[in-house]
Amino acid sequence: MATKIKKIRRNVTLTLWEQSYVPEILRGMYITLEHFFINLWGLILEFAWSGREDRKIATVYYPEESVTPPPAYRGRPVLVLGADGNEKCVACGLCEAACPPQCISIIGAERANGERYPLRYTLDGTRCIFCGRCEEACPKEAIVMSDDWRNLCEYDRSKMIYEKADLLVPEEKLAGRLAFIRDKAFGKDRY
Amino acid sequence: MTLALVETAAKIAFVFGLNIGVFAPLLGWVERKQSAVMQDRIGADRADVFGFTIIGLFHTMSDTIKLIFKEDFIPRGADRIMHTAAPALALIPALVAFTVIPFGGHYTLWGHNVNLVVADLDVGALFVFAISSLAAYGVVLAGWSSNNNWSFLGGLRAAAQMFSYEVAMGLTIIGLVMFYQSLSLVTIVEKQNEFWHWGIIWHWPAFILYFTCAIAENKRIPFDVPEAESELVAGYFTEYSGMKFIMFWMAEFVEVVTISALCVVLFFGGHHLPFVTDAELISGLGGALYPNFANLAAMGIGILTFIVKVIILIFIQMTIRWTLPRFRYDQVMALGWKLVLPASLIWIFIVGVGILSGIMPRP
Ligand code: SF4
Ligand code: SF4
Repeated sequence: MATKIKKIRRNVTLTLWEQSYVPEILRGMYITLEHFFINLWGLILEFAWSGREDRKIATVYYPEESVTPPPAYRGRPVLVLGADGNEKCVACGLCEAACPPQCISIIGAERANGERYPLRYTLDGTRCIFCGRCEEACPKEAIVMSDDWRNLCEYDRSKMIYEKADLLVPEEKLAGRLAFIRDKAFGKDRY
Repeated sequence: MTLALVETAAKIAFVFGLNIGVFAPLLGWVERKQSAVMQDRIGADRADVFGFTIIGLFHTMSDTIKLIFKEDFIPRGADRIMHTAAPALALIPALVAFTVIPFGGHYTLWGHNVNLVVADLDVGALFVFAISSLAAYGVVLAGWSSNNNWSFLGGLRAAAQMFSYEVAMGLTIIGLVMFYQSLSLVTIVEKQNEFWHWGIIWHWPAFILYFTCAIAENKRIPFDVPEAESELVAGYFTEYSGMKFIMFWMAEFVEVVTISALCVVLFFGGHHLPFVTDAELISGLGGALYPNFANLAAMGIGILTFIVKVIILIFIQMTIRWTLPRFRYDQVMALGWKLVLPASLIWIFIVGVGILSGIMPRP
């Protein structure tokens, strides 16, 4: 991505023209009025028929409308449920160690075929700071940040302790985020 | 005698109805909606009655109802009497200043001479300034009586700002008074009968200076340092709630209207239509055939013209309010004392020279 460099004048002494304020104020008013009349015209059109494209208005009528966050958005951390019906997590405990507020606690166990899996995986939603360290630490892409930002509030804190069953989300629903972290970790924009 | 009383009562009712009944609530709505549309938002439009929202107008009503039923809170340690009196002291001057502003001309209706101003004072312009400087008491007392540091600081800032801009504001219109040779606002409007005698033609620098001072006097952005939300919570009305809070809020809006009305009267020809004198208007409406009807129609047109001009100036004020950032406090004071005051003095000098040398022909 080409970086755009914009020159900004700092600590300049104002010219007399700028010191008199009035032209600059008029310029500012021209900008705001331009927005005003374009949007007003769009609103009138919207009254007449659906013409939302004619204005620049950014308002989203939540809860009737809602936004889809971009894949870079860090919502509630969730566990990835693989296509085979098992969670991808191998209970290595790296996320547990990486989590700054220490909100993850894992009890690992072993399946009959020797695979490790988390018997209990508890994520304390009251403590999570949505930093994404767990996602970065995980070697198996088993915990990722979802785009879920809606169901994070409760009246009772005890309801905010998520067990494994609450955290599991099928892999296909997280495809966007998984592609994003792969790109971030192994792509050319990696940090 | 009775007729005169009825006439005065009708004029008072008109002025108060226009200010309190129409402009003050409507400006609350305009301020929200205009800012929203300017900033690419929609603005408050959720309050509805039977599914009708009428572009958010019900929010003004629901806000008023909400504020009326709110607890009227007086903080501990506050001066109860002053705390209660301050909002009234802020609101009343703003309303009273409107009494000397002519919102129409002279009309003869059925042999009765109607002069569309509540009080035709010979020193109308002085009266407006005298009364509007009383509004400073409301603000200062509100800040002091609340027993709160934010309020106190806000009140102090308001006092300093209002007093310093009052000086400059008074001086900005001296040139105009010299030009029209009268302090009576009615006479000033009469002399602007012809378009080329409107104040704005010769006195546009005075208009800019006056407008700046008036906005500063009204403590609105960019001069809203007394109530600067990011520094002083809400400044001098931090401790107010319910109806008293509304009164400050209304005082501000009524003052917006008063400033616009005064600007219209001083600079934009009052109720006169551009390029049409009052006599021409009445004769054009058939003044020779049915004089009463023509006078009545001219009166209606005059009031309408006045209101339209006021609305345009209110729109400009609102645009300024939502365009500019707040000045720093020392910048406000520096602007007042170092720029506006000398500029208005220089302007008085220029007008004097212009009048004496005959460049500016007096109407
Ligand atoms: S996002 Fe941060 S705080 Fe939340 S669980 Fe992951 S590591 Fe812990
Ligand atoms: S780092 Fe990944 S694999 Fe390891 S315990 Fe955490 S979620 Fe499971």
